[in-house]
Amino acid sequence: MKILELRGVKKRYHANSALNGIDLSIEKGNSLTVLGPNGSGKTTLLKILSGIMSPTEGKVIYKNNQASENDRKKEIFFLGHKNSLYNSLTVLENVNFVCRLFSRNNGDASVENILREYGLWERRNDPVGELSQGMKRRLAIAKGFLIDPDVFIMDEPFSGLDIRWRSSTLSKIKDFKRQKKSLILSTHLVVEGYELADYIAFLHRGKFLFIKKKEEVDIEEINGLFDSPEETLK
Amino acid sequence: MSFLANAFSITSKDIRLEFRGKESLSLMLFLSLLLLVIFNFALDIDRDNISLLAPGILWVIFAFSGILGMGRTSMAERDEEAYLSIVFSPASAESFYLGKVLSNLLFLIIMESFTIIFFAVLFDFERIIGSLLELVPSLILGTVGFSLIGTLFSFLSTTSKYGEVLLPFLYLPVVVPILLGGVSSMDIVLNETVGEGTGKWHQIMIAFDILYFSLSLLLFKYLIEE
Repeated sequence: MKILELRGVKKRYHANSALNGIDLSIEKGNSLTVLGPNGSGKTTLLKILSGIMSPTEGKVIYKNNQASENDRKKEIFFLGHKNSLYNSLTVLENVNFVCRLFSRNNGDASVENILREYGLWERRNDPVGELSQGMKRRLAIAKGFLIDPDVFIMDEPFSGLDIRWRSSTLSKIKDFKRQKKSLILSTHLVVEGYELADYIAFLHRGKFLFIKKKEEVDIEEINGLFDSPEETLK
Repeated sequence: MSFLANAFSITSKDIRLEFRGKESLSLMLFLSLLLLVIFNFALDIDRDNISLLAPGILWVIFAFSGILGMGRTSMAERDEEAYLSIVFSPASAESFYLGKVLSNLLFLIIMESFTIIFFAVLFDFERIIGSLLELVPSLILGTVGFSLIGTLFSFLSTTSKYGEVLLPFLYLPVVVPILLGGVSSMDIVLNETVGEGTGKWHQIMIAFDILYFSLSLLLFKYLIEE
């Protein structure tokens, strides 16, 4: 079953074109890693997929248009570039606020588990503004796993994480994938992106240079694309 | 039901944020106190003209302090794009808007009560406290109007780099009917103007409250979409 589909999606910011006719289809339970150099349109693409941004042209279809807007919002979680946290609220208050909006009554135990897993339980009563950038990122990721969406869209999930938290986030995302849930992520970290992908898309100047099954691409080829996309594809 | 529950969650989050950060209400209270002191020095107010000047002074303070506070509550949403945690949740744009209106309304009511009490003390004008019951309808209608359109404009202002500076220029011309209604009905009550009732002004304020509410409900979702 197609969970998310883009048809001829274009996005322009005034005179600049961020996306130039994107067609994409993601099946339920699949994961897609979007790679590309800075300014290639990855964040715009993810924002359009998540529904916060409307395309200038083209269509975004969720579950073959058979789900309501409310269902879509319940089932998709977007982890943006920024952490979307209230600095004056404590760690627990931030988590509880989002759980209430998603009507998730996970219970105190699961909140405690996930915060412990991300090393934030000891800081649960501290205002988020007092946490380091890495801790804030961990909290933003933990929030997503607590919501446990059907589709997790992650924009640069590993940014700001040190090697320890990067690897535990990687294994957490793998666990998420194992539940046959859909994952769409963009990252500059080719190795991690490759590891998590079923499909890999490379975006350049608002267009896909390719969307391939992971087995059809190797990391060397992707690294070459970052240096000179046109040359590598010739 | 979840519409209201989400709106109340957002309001209670704002109250908690204010309790922690003291960024909005404390600024509003400080500005209103400052303006009261300035008016006290700048104007030649005595027992004869106090009831004539009070409506204008009070509503100017309500408008300026109010917009300062509402601007801050919206800025708190934009910090680190915190508002996206609401936008990406199942909460609708309308419940987001309603939640923000309710929290702004609460802060405005606190600021206005504080201002009226300090006005009575500073200008030795206890009669305003005695007339409070008669003033309540126009105060409520005016405050609701401020909050309805102020929430929309303060969020709009956060989309621009110079938003906080632009906000009063956008907001004040739009709330003129509410200011006019508030000042006139307070004037009628405090000066016991013969032959004139506050009903006409209340009707005008109700009409504008409905207009502001309908417009804001329609437009708010476009403000939070990128």
